[in-house]
Amino acid sequence: MTTSTTPARRTGAGRHTLARYLVRRAGTSVILLLGVVLVTFLLTVLVPGDPVRAALGEGASSNPATVAAYEEKYGLDKSVPERFVLYLGNLLQGDLGTSITTGRAVVDDLAKAVPATGEVAFYAIILSLAVAIVLGTLAAYRRGKATDQVVRVVSLVGLSIPTFWMAILAYNFFFLELGWVRGSGRLSPTITPPPRVTGFHTIDFLLNGDSVGFFDAVSHLALPVFVLSLFTIALLTRFIRTSVLEVLDADYARAARAKGLSGPRVVFGYVLRGAALPILTMVGIAFGTLLSGTVLVEAVFAWPGLGTYAYNAAKGLDLLAVTGVGLVVGVIYLVINLVIDILYGALDPRVRLS
Amino acid sequence: MARSHSRAAAALVAVSALALAGCSGGNSANTDVDGGDGASGTLVIDTAFSLETGDPGRNYVPTGNMVLHAVYDTLLTLEGDDTTPQPALATMEQNEDATEFTFTLDEDRVFSDGSPVTADDVVFSLERVAGMTDSKANFLMTGITVEKVDDATVVLKTEKPSLQLPAIVTNPSLSILNAEEVEANGGATDTTDAAQTFLDGASAGSGPYLLDSLDLTTQVVLVGNPEYNGPTPAAYDKIVVRNVTESATQLINLKGGDSNIAVDLNGDQVEGLGDGFTVDSVPSAETIFLLINQNPEVGPATASPKFAEAVRYALDYDKILELAGVGAEQATGVIPPMFAGALADGAGQDLDRAQAALAESGYAGETVKLQFPNDNPVGGVEFTPVAERVQDQLKAAGINVELAPAPFATEIDPYVNGTEAFSMWYWGPDYADSSSFLPFGPGEKVGLRAGWDAAASADIAALVAAARNATSVEERTEAFGAYAAAMQESGPFVPLIVPGNNIASDDTVSGLTYNPTWTLDLTALSPTQ
Repeated sequence: MTTSTTPARRTGAGRHTLARYLVRRAGTSVILLLGVVLVTFLLTVLVPGDPVRAALGEGASSNPATVAAYEEKYGLDKSVPERFVLYLGNLLQGDLGTSITTGRAVVDDLAKAVPATGEVAFYAIILSLAVAIVLGTLAAYRRGKATDQVVRVVSLVGLSIPTFWMAILAYNFFFLELGWVRGSGRLSPTITPPPRVTGFHTIDFLLNGDSVGFFDAVSHLALPVFVLSLFTIALLTRFIRTSVLEVLDADYARAARAKGLSGPRVVFGYVLRGAALPILTMVGIAFGTLLSGTVLVEAVFAWPGLGTYAYNAAKGLDLLAVTGVGLVVGVIYLVINLVIDILYGALDPRVRLS
Repeated sequence: MARSHSRAAAALVAVSALALAGCSGGNSANTDVDGGDGASGTLVIDTAFSLETGDPGRNYVPTGNMVLHAVYDTLLTLEGDDTTPQPALATMEQNEDATEFTFTLDEDRVFSDGSPVTADDVVFSLERVAGMTDSKANFLMTGITVEKVDDATVVLKTEKPSLQLPAIVTNPSLSILNAEEVEANGGATDTTDAAQTFLDGASAGSGPYLLDSLDLTTQVVLVGNPEYNGPTPAAYDKIVVRNVTESATQLINLKGGDSNIAVDLNGDQVEGLGDGFTVDSVPSAETIFLLINQNPEVGPATASPKFAEAVRYALDYDKILELAGVGAEQATGVIPPMFAGALADGAGQDLDRAQAALAESGYAGETVKLQFPNDNPVGGVEFTPVAERVQDQLKAAGINVELAPAPFATEIDPYVNGTEAFSMWYWGPDYADSSSFLPFGPGEKVGLRAGWDAAASADIAALVAAARNATSVEERTEAFGAYAAAMQESGPFVPLIVPGNNIASDDTVSGLTYNPTWTLDLTALSPTQ
């Protein structure tokens, strides 16, 4: 991720420079992706244990015919280099292999799991950003005062609370004690899922004009989003406070205030715009952190997402599924970085020239 | 600019409101989102999924057994927690040598499409499992051949006496399928079989429920079978079995009314449930045990049988059992209490005997590594605290133990390959029969993992053979009892705990009973009157 900026050189940097910058960044991403595939694949191969025995269990793994059939079916009868070459070949055709635990194409499994996690993560990052901007800016403006102290303490608590424990606590309180939200999973057992368009239940229900389904989906999303957001809100609030403080001391912000502009206009017109680039970087990092936090949250809320899939795959030594998850997470990180870098390049010409 | 933003926001709100007001989608406003109201005819069950397919012939995992037992019938079945096979689709007679088992079908029974269950369907279903070597369930049919006698009679033959065969055919993997329907959808009796896709989305059985939908990661939905004409018709319009991996979540769902039954609660959790709930806490069919390797190359300090004796009598089993919660019992031997041949009492702590045995074993204070899986609790029993207690108690008896936990997937290989000198593992039956515990014998599968070959104990090897080849129930029960006693006296295993199985329901449900094969019998559940 590019974070440094160099002094501007006004050499007529325009559309062509931006295009070259994008091509260069995309090329770097492809190389990084290949690295991710290689490392993930090798890591899964190096882990001790026998995937066939793990999949078949005690009884079936004592049957040589079944063991041989499984080894052949999942390519485990081949050498590691052969398997890697085969994997790369299939990957180019969009085939991530077959999961030894579910018996289905890893691509199909991921196509179900990724939107489930994506929906939680998407709303969590939006909520986190909205809350953190308010709290962080407020704390910066009231530096040293009671508001600032409260925000700092609360954000410290948010960073310190174990996510798993918080999830159980929140579920117990908001579902069992208060009855404000519905039970675990993405939908209630009696709700029929919407026809798939985006994979996000809330959006797909809206597109289908199904208000009952929509509100059920929202009610199930509320707690996972809330719990996942707590850490990210705390992380972003502290960072935004620091960034805003730096900008507040900048000449242009002081000049704006000296001109008599109103507080909100100074904040949104000058301060937040000035702090936007480092905040953008932090949002990318926070989104990645948020994804890694879904494993435990998904377990508590019985959320059928990427975290649950990754956990089960790792536990069952499901090599191709683990590699598939590694690849998806790698791609997500690369895309986040790419988008941030592009935004950097678009917002600040100095970046694409550096 | 600000005004245009406001207009855009107003338009978005208006579009959303219109969409919501439309309410024309698949779910109506009066949908029972609480789900588990017995009066609605829907039963919701939470369990941690081990589900891979809706095809009985390819299934060999616990949740699959639970679900498929409600959709398909087998030749014989088990009732409640009893492990004695009972007639289901057929009655059974065996010859004196226990090598021929004749099944006579109930000719009135029909599949879900209304067609009768015939001998051809039985032959196809069993031969299909025998022919699919790429199926996990294939080993169940090893050494068994199937022959049709007439439209209502089938004979299963084995080369050696096989009194376990009746128990084997109760397994849902050997369910009887509608041959014509399955063959029309890719079914075959060899490895070319391609009916799994069809069976993952449809039912071709004669059970009281039909498979409405199957999602291997979230939930299975069963609905009543209108053609069912057996003894246990569907008591619910719909049964939803959901995948909830965390037992804490299962508990909250049950208490909050989001589900009716929680299958995987531990002892502490069911103890706090209070009024309004029913709990079935019973010992499971699993056994947690210590393995003490007899191969001096693998375990120089453990190879003496006297070392195993010292460990057996050094332990305070009551204190170990404290870690297991309600429903659990001390393991009285390698055969759990519900099976024929199980011993009435387990080993007791006898420190003098332990000291004497240790002195004879040649143990000189070496540190012995105790290996165990630390991410795979059995019946709610976490292995790490049990291992810590074993370590403390053995230290008091003069044996130095170092704990060596590892994830299951990592630990399974050295265990199976017999390279662990001292380890803690668990064992459950392949089918509900005492013969599932003979692998602990010398020269058998688990025995070999402990470096214990047949020559190391010819007496116990003979007891294994006697139990395996018995031709009458009495002879067999006696042989299993002698085997279990001999194993407890001088085997390289120290059985510790039979974990409890705790199934809890709200008070709208009756018929809750643990069964070692399908855990919970969905066909026996009904609304409380």
